[in-house]
Amino acid sequence: MSVVPAQQTGGGGGSSGLYDVLELVLDRGLVIDAFVRVSLVGIEILKIDVRVVVASVDTYLRFAEACNRLDLESGPRKDPGLPDLVGTMTESGARGKSKGALSGAAETISDAFKQAREGEPESRPRARRSTSSRRKEEQE
Amino acid sequence: MSTYVYGITASAPAALPDGLTGVGELPVRVLTEGDLAVVVSDAPENLRPKRKDLLAHQNVLAEAGTAGCVLPMRFGSVAPDDKAVTGVLAERADHYKERLRALDNRVEYNIKANHVEEAVLHHVMAENAEIRALAESNRQQGGGSYESKIQLGEMVAAAVQAREAEDAAALQRLLEPEADAVSVGPESTGWLANVSFLVDREQAETFLAAVERARRDLPHLEVRINGPLPPYSFVEPGPAEPAGTAAGGGADTGAE
Repeated sequence: MSVVPAQQTGGGGGSSGLYDVLELVLDRGLVIDAFVRVSLVGIEILKIDVRVVVASVDTYLRFAEACNRLDLESGPRKDPGLPDLVGTMTESGARGKSKGALSGAAETISDAFKQAREGEPESRPRARRSTSSRRKEEQE
Repeated sequence: MSTYVYGITASAPAALPDGLTGVGELPVRVLTEGDLAVVVSDAPENLRPKRKDLLAHQNVLAEAGTAGCVLPMRFGSVAPDDKAVTGVLAERADHYKERLRALDNRVEYNIKANHVEEAVLHHVMAENAEIRALAESNRQQGGGSYESKIQLGEMVAAAVQAREAEDAAALQRLLEPEADAVSVGPESTGWLANVSFLVDREQAETFLAAVERARRDLPHLEVRINGPLPPYSFVEPGPAEPAGTAAGGGADTGAE
């Protein structure tokens, strides 16, 4: 089944690209009041699946753990997979700018992290990435 | 038999492939009304928002959009019958024609972005001495106490969140100049940026090049692009009047 023929689905023709398009199909597009819309009960599930509560103890512990690991890894030898930080320090001084309720993306971040680790060539729009099978299942 | 509606086009799409099927694997048809055409199929019994049908909806619109502009319906629009569909078309023809003209030869690219966790944590650590110090102290204590872990995690989460807002803005700034219109999508924890860009077909290469530049400039982001798509995010809502009741009752398009 082809989703989007002849299209850019950068970030993977895999499940995340799929989800990204389905979100548009579900949430946008023309609504005509004269027509009935199908019950969207199932859709709530689809949405909730990508939502994670970030402002949670679990998240904090996970971040703390990640920081711990991070420094160990990036001691003398820098992980070759990492982007060059020096060149990418755009704006600092944003500390304390956080806006209260955390809307971060622990789970998705870790997805992105996994995906990045699986070695996606950086500048290729059609870069293939092995899909996160978790998401795929959720979309069933 | 009720009718499932995919989208509205300026004239019958010439090149819908033979045997194209839509939701419920039902054959796709085209109804015409004046200068307008609408892509439909029978509506399956018990239509639900299943992935397969969502994809079918998108696929039909992608096919219909190859020839010219299509105003995509949101998933799941069902009319009582074909006549009800053409009735609405006739009644609001001016509005849809105006939209089709405005969106002619333009496509939507949707951009979503996430942080690459390890990279953004590096940023956060590099920028924030307090976080560095606490992380270091925790590590020296073999990970630190529960409380200090929570404290560190909380600081990191706040810093990462601040970066999300900044990076979303930065990404949009980089791409905006190459688009005719911008529509910011709903926030979610699924992404830090969710922005759709309306792009002239002829300018698509330029836009894609800008996306590549943005990827290089912001390597700590995972930037996902989907398109060209029908302009889901740029079809404005129809006229406000509830028009379902009286067929041809002269309730017209209002503000044209």
